Amino acid sequence: MSSFRSKPHFAPFVGPAWYVAGAWLVAAVLAQSTIVHYLAVRNVVPSVVLAVVVWYAIRVDARRAVLFGLVAGFCEDALSAQTGAAWTIATSLSALLASVLSRGFFADSIPLVIGVTILATLVRGLVFWIVAAIGGFPPGLSSMHAHEAALQSALNAGVMVVAMLIARRFDASTR
Amino acid sequence: MLALLQIGAQRSGSVSPIATVAGSIFGLAQTVVSATVGGARALAVNVVALPRLERENRQLGTRNRHLIEENARLHELAAAYAAESAVRPVVDLYHGIEARVIGFPPENESRAVTIDKGSKAGVRRDEGVLAADGVVGRIVSVAPFSSVVLLATDYTSRIPAVVRRGRWWGIARGNLTSVVVEYIAQDAPLRVGDVVVTGEGRSFHSGVPIGTVTAVERGSATLYQTAVLKTAADLNALDRVVVVPQ
Repeated sequence: MSSFRSKPHFAPFVGPAWYVAGAWLVAAVLAQSTIVHYLAVRNVVPSVVLAVVVWYAIRVDARRAVLFGLVAGFCEDALSAQTGAAWTIATSLSALLASVLSRGFFADSIPLVIGVTILATLVRGLVFWIVAAIGGFPPGLSSMHAHEAALQSALNAGVMVVAMLIARRFDASTR
Repeated sequence: MLALLQIGAQRSGSVSPIATVAGSIFGLAQTVVSATVGGARALAVNVVALPRLERENRQLGTRNRHLIEENARLHELAAAYAAESAVRPVVDLYHGIEARVIGFPPENESRAVTIDKGSKAGVRRDEGVLAADGVVGRIVSVAPFSSVVLLATDYTSRIPAVVRRGRWWGIARGNLTSVVVEYIAQDAPLRVGDVVVTGEGRSFHSGVPIGTVTAVERGSATLYQTAVLKTAADLNALDRVVVVPQ
């Protein structure tokens, strides 16, 4: 009778270790602010930072995902000029979205990851420019930002697919 | 019979047909034998010389690799020297702080670069930044060991500008890909090719080239005209810049 009233059951955490995710994030932020600039397509760069955030967020619960997104966004704000906390807020929300959408299932499914990445990129762009506009960024470029977000979502999805295929090949060869 | 034919041919000063045929056959055979022997001899020489050739080849390969590396290093040094000597006059003229570009905005959401000099080197917010050819932008954020430079092409960048030929004033604003000078008086006879320089302001001294006019937009019912510029400094290939103290 009392078995239903016992303390709630928490499943053990099975996502990536925080230091592994942190190392990937540091590498991604460094690459994003130095090398990735040279891969720009029509002034749009793929976001390896968001790729790492999505990779982590779809494997963990919402709380951890938001925390990771917060740190990632903060790093980007720290390296940008005049963005305030726009990347921090936008990346946190994107991580939350990715985590809620996937709910930790099928994190290795390429279609799921592509869908989540595209959605997270679009939401992140939208939130970023809303926050930037509130922060005083001059209006009038919404159409251009929409095009850039669409292109970036395609680039990010490409990055995720390539990363997943490499990871699968690596896993297969180490088994 | 054969001997008689030969003698007859010798007396008449010609070569007998049989001798001709025999000579031709033997000539062909000699060619084959000679080529075979020559090839075999060359092969033998090569086989004997193979270790030496291999050693020489290895040495030449190593030497070639060293020369290629040295060549690349010298090219890099020459380029660095050229870049450094290009900004040296600017450093001397304005007593500026030389810096190198080390980073970019992570998401390319703004036109900015990060340089390797910060407040420890004396860089302060709002100071102007120049390249050898002209204006780069201004400092918008300073950390102890690095600073962020907002490029003149950024959408939020504003620089007081003067058309050098007629001293017509305007405001140089970035449009993400180039710079446009707004608020130039409608009666100013602007021409493509006019050089636009900085006006005296918070970040820059006057007379530093911003760019060259590539197009003039003049509306019939507007108070002002707008000039589109090609920036004097190549803002897509920045390496060494100079921070100019205010």
